[in-house]
Amino acid sequence: MPAYRSTVLLCAGGGCISCGCLPVREAMEAELKRRNLADEVRVVQTGCVGSCDLGPVLIVYPDEVFYQKVSPGDVPKLVDEHFLKGRVFERLLVKSAETDNLIATQREFAFFNKQVKIVLENCGVIDPENIEEYVARGGYLALGQVISERTPEWVIEELKKSGLRGRGGAGFPAGTKWDFVRKAPGERKYVVCNADEGDPGAFMDRSVLEGDPHRVLEAMAIAGFAASADQGYIYVRAEYPLAIRRTRRAIQQAREAGFLGRNLFESSFSFDIDIRVGAGAFVCGEETALLASIEGKRGIPRPRPPFPAVSGLWGKPTLINNVETYACIVPIITRGGDWYASIGTEKSKGTKVFALAGKIRNTGLVEVPMGTTLREIVYDIGGGVPNGRKFKAAQTGGPSGGCIPAEHLDIPMDYESLAKVGSIVGSGGLIIMDEDSCMVDVAKFFMEFCTDESCGKCPPCRVGTRQIYGLLDKITKGEARIEDLHLLEELCGMVKESSLCGLGQTAPNPVLSTLRYFRDEYLEHIVDRRCPAKVCPSLIRYSIDEAACTGCSLCARNCPENTIFKVEDQKKYRIDPARCVKCGVCFDVCRFGAVVKS
Amino acid sequence: MDTMRGDTIGADAPDVAAIAAAHRGSRAALIAILREVQAARGYLPEDALRAVARHTGRSLVDVYAVASFYHSFSLKPRGRHTVCACLGTACHVRGGQQVVEALSRELGVRAGETTPDGEFTLETANCLGACALGPVVVVDGRYFAKVNPGKVRRILSQARSGVAAPEAADGERALVTEAVCPECGRPLLDAARPIDGYPSLQVSAQCNGWRGRARISCVDGVLDGAPENAAALERVRLFCPHCSAGLNDLLRCGECGVPTVSVLAGDGALVQMCGCGEQRVRRAEVEGAGARREIAQLS
Repeated sequence: MPAYRSTVLLCAGGGCISCGCLPVREAMEAELKRRNLADEVRVVQTGCVGSCDLGPVLIVYPDEVFYQKVSPGDVPKLVDEHFLKGRVFERLLVKSAETDNLIATQREFAFFNKQVKIVLENCGVIDPENIEEYVARGGYLALGQVISERTPEWVIEELKKSGLRGRGGAGFPAGTKWDFVRKAPGERKYVVCNADEGDPGAFMDRSVLEGDPHRVLEAMAIAGFAASADQGYIYVRAEYPLAIRRTRRAIQQAREAGFLGRNLFESSFSFDIDIRVGAGAFVCGEETALLASIEGKRGIPRPRPPFPAVSGLWGKPTLINNVETYACIVPIITRGGDWYASIGTEKSKGTKVFALAGKIRNTGLVEVPMGTTLREIVYDIGGGVPNGRKFKAAQTGGPSGGCIPAEHLDIPMDYESLAKVGSIVGSGGLIIMDEDSCMVDVAKFFMEFCTDESCGKCPPCRVGTRQIYGLLDKITKGEARIEDLHLLEELCGMVKESSLCGLGQTAPNPVLSTLRYFRDEYLEHIVDRRCPAKVCPSLIRYSIDEAACTGCSLCARNCPENTIFKVEDQKKYRIDPARCVKCGVCFDVCRFGAVVKS
Repeated sequence: MDTMRGDTIGADAPDVAAIAAAHRGSRAALIAILREVQAARGYLPEDALRAVARHTGRSLVDVYAVASFYHSFSLKPRGRHTVCACLGTACHVRGGQQVVEALSRELGVRAGETTPDGEFTLETANCLGACALGPVVVVDGRYFAKVNPGKVRRILSQARSGVAAPEAADGERALVTEAVCPECGRPLLDAARPIDGYPSLQVSAQCNGWRGRARISCVDGVLDGAPENAAALERVRLFCPHCSAGLNDLLRCGECGVPTVSVLAGDGALVQMCGCGEQRVRRAEVEGAGARREIAQLS
C-alpha cells in the first residue's frame, strides 16, 4: 500500500449527495491521476460531517483544511493550489460570520470546535461502507470483550451507572429498560432499533446510519447479549434510501467478518440482525405501532401496559431503543459508565445531538453535552440568525414539543429544564425561528401534521386534532372570535388527557406552548385581523413600490394569475389587489426589492 | 380502484408470485412485498392486491388495510414524473407551504393527485431529512434546494423537457444530467468527452459566419467572473447535431427561466445572458475551421 501524504475526506452524507458531491469525487480522482498524485493523495468518502448547508464539503488531512461548496469545476484549481503549490485555496474557505476573516481549518471553525462528539465521533471520519475502517477505530472490540469477559449483569450495571436515557423522546433510563427485558420471563426475546425518525426536522438517526452503521449493529449485539436475545430488527423509514443501503451493506460485512451470526467470538452466543423498511407513517415511531408494522400489520398503537419489555414483537419480550441511544452504548462499554456520567448535568447525562435548522446561519448536526445553553448552540455554534433578523423562538421536539422564546435563551438544554418551560428534548430537532415566522402558523403546521398522521384508532386524537386544526385555521384567516381561544385551550387539554398513545397525548403541545409565550400574536390575529410576521396569506397584501420598480417585467412574467400590469406610459408595474392570490412569486423573483408585503 | 392496467398483466400475476416467493410468502413480509410490487407496477392495482393476498395467505381485507394505511403505497396509477415537496418543519419556516401551493397551481392538481395527462404526480413528505437545504423539492429522485415559488415553473419545465437540474445549496450552479433534443428526442449528452467531470452537451454551433461543433459544460457558473465585454460579443446559435433543430431555448436563465442569449467568449467560455440582468458562464470547447481564431479575436 502506498504511503499517502494527504487524505481528502469527502462528505457523502445525504445533504452533500443532494448537492452533487459524487461528481466532485470523480473529478478529484481524475485530476489526481492526471497530475500523478494518485499514489500520494487518497480520497475517502465519509458519512455526514454535520455542516449540511455548506455542501459539498472536503476536509484535507493532515492539516484539516476545510473546503466548502466545492463543485467539479473547482477541482483542478484546488488540486493545483493545495497539492502542487502547497497553499490553501482561499476561494473555497469558510468566512467567519462576525469578522469576515477566512477560516482555514476545521479546528478553527466555531461550528465544530464547540462540539463534543461521542455519538458522531466516527461520522465524517471513516468510510461507512468499509468495515475495516470501523474496526481500525476500535470497532467490535467492545462486543468481543463483553462476550468473552463480562456478564449481562455487568453490561446493565455499567449502563445504569452511565445514566443514559433513551434518546427517542421519552427519556426513559436505558439501563432500567434493558434490565426489564433481561428479567422478563420467556425463551425467545428480540432487540429492535427504532430508526423511524419521523419527527420533521430531526435527521441525526439518518446520519448515524449513513455515516457509522456498524456502531449501531455492535450496540444491538451487545443488547442481545445483555437481554439474551438472538435476533434484532432495525426498522428504518422508507424516506432514507441511503441509510437503508449502507446499513444493509454493513450487516452483510459484519456477517462475513463473524461479528453477526452464530457463535460469536467462539462463544455460545448467536445474534443476527434484519432490516425492516417502513412505508411512510409517522405513528410507527411509537413503539407498539412500530412492532405491529414489523409484524406486517397496520401500524396502529395499542394501550400499554403490557410494555414491549414484557410482551412485544409476536408477544415476546422486546428491547426497543432508537438509533442515537444505541450509538452511545459502545463508548459507555469501552470507557465505562462513570466516564459517561461525568458529562452532562445531574439528571441528564452524556451528550445530545441536535439537528439545527430553520433561520440559522450554520445548519446541520451538532452534538453538545447535556446542559449546554440554547444561546451557546444558537450563537456560538449556529452563528446566529442570518440577514440581520432577530431570534424569536426555538422549536424543540417537533410535533410533540414546544417553543422556547428569546427570554429563555439561557436555558440549559436538558430533559428537566426543557420540561419546565413547556417543551421537550424529544428526538433533538431544533428549529430556529426569526421575526418572519408566525407562531400561529407554526402551531397550525404541527396540528395539520398530527391530523394527517393520526392513525384513527382513538377518537380524541382523530377528531380532536381536526377540531383544533379547524380553530387555528380560522384564526390564521382572521375569522376567529375571542371565545375560540378559550375553546382551543379546552380542546387541547381534552386531547392531551384522553388520547391513547404519545402522538395524541403530545399533539396539543405546540399550540399550548405558543399560546403561553405568544398569546399577543394570537390576539393580534383575532382582534386586529393582522399577522405581525406577515405570513398568513389571508391577512397580508402585496404591492409594488413604484420608486424601486425598474420596470424589468420579471414579476409580471412570473405571476401565475396575470394580475400584474404595466402602468400606462411608464416603466412601472402594479398589482391588481382584487385578483391577487398572494402566492408570493413576485416577491421572490423581484431583484430590486420593489415588491412589498404589508 | 382502477383495474384497467392490472388486467393487462393477467389474472395470475406471475410478477407478484415471484416477489412473494422471494419472501417465502411470509406474512410478516407483507409491507416489503407490497413495496416491491409497487416498484414493479408503479402502483398497487386490485389484481396485484388479490394476488398478494393469495400468495401470503392473508385475507384481501388485511392486505387492503395495510396498503391503504401507509402513505407510500398508491392504489391509483401515478404520473411519469413524481414531484415531492418536503413539508418538514425546517422547510415550512422557510416557506415550504407556498412552494407546495405554487406547484399545485402550476400543475392544476392537489397534493396526492396526478395530472390528467399522466405526466406529474404531486406529493408532499413530512421530512426528507435534508433540512439544511430547505425548502426542498425532489423531482424523480433529484433534489432541488432552497426552492421558492418563483423557481417552481423552471423546475417543472425542466422535468417536462427531460432536462432536470439539481442545484447547489445557494442556487449558484445548475447542472444538467439528462438532455435530449426537444424536436427529435435524441440524446445531446456525450459521456465520452466530459467537461468539469460531467458528460458534455454536444451541439452544432453557428457564430458570426462560422459553423462548427461545440461541447458545452453541464455545470453553470464555475469560471471566475463573466468576461467584461460579453455584451459586445456576437451571439452564438446552437443546433441539435442530429436534426439541426434550434436549441437556444435549452439554455435557460437560472433566475427567471426564459431562454438566454448565448455568446462565446475567450478561453473557452459560453456566457448566457438574460434580459433580467442574470449572467452565467459555462466552460465550452469549440471545433471547426477557424474556430480557434474566432475565439481569439473575440477575447
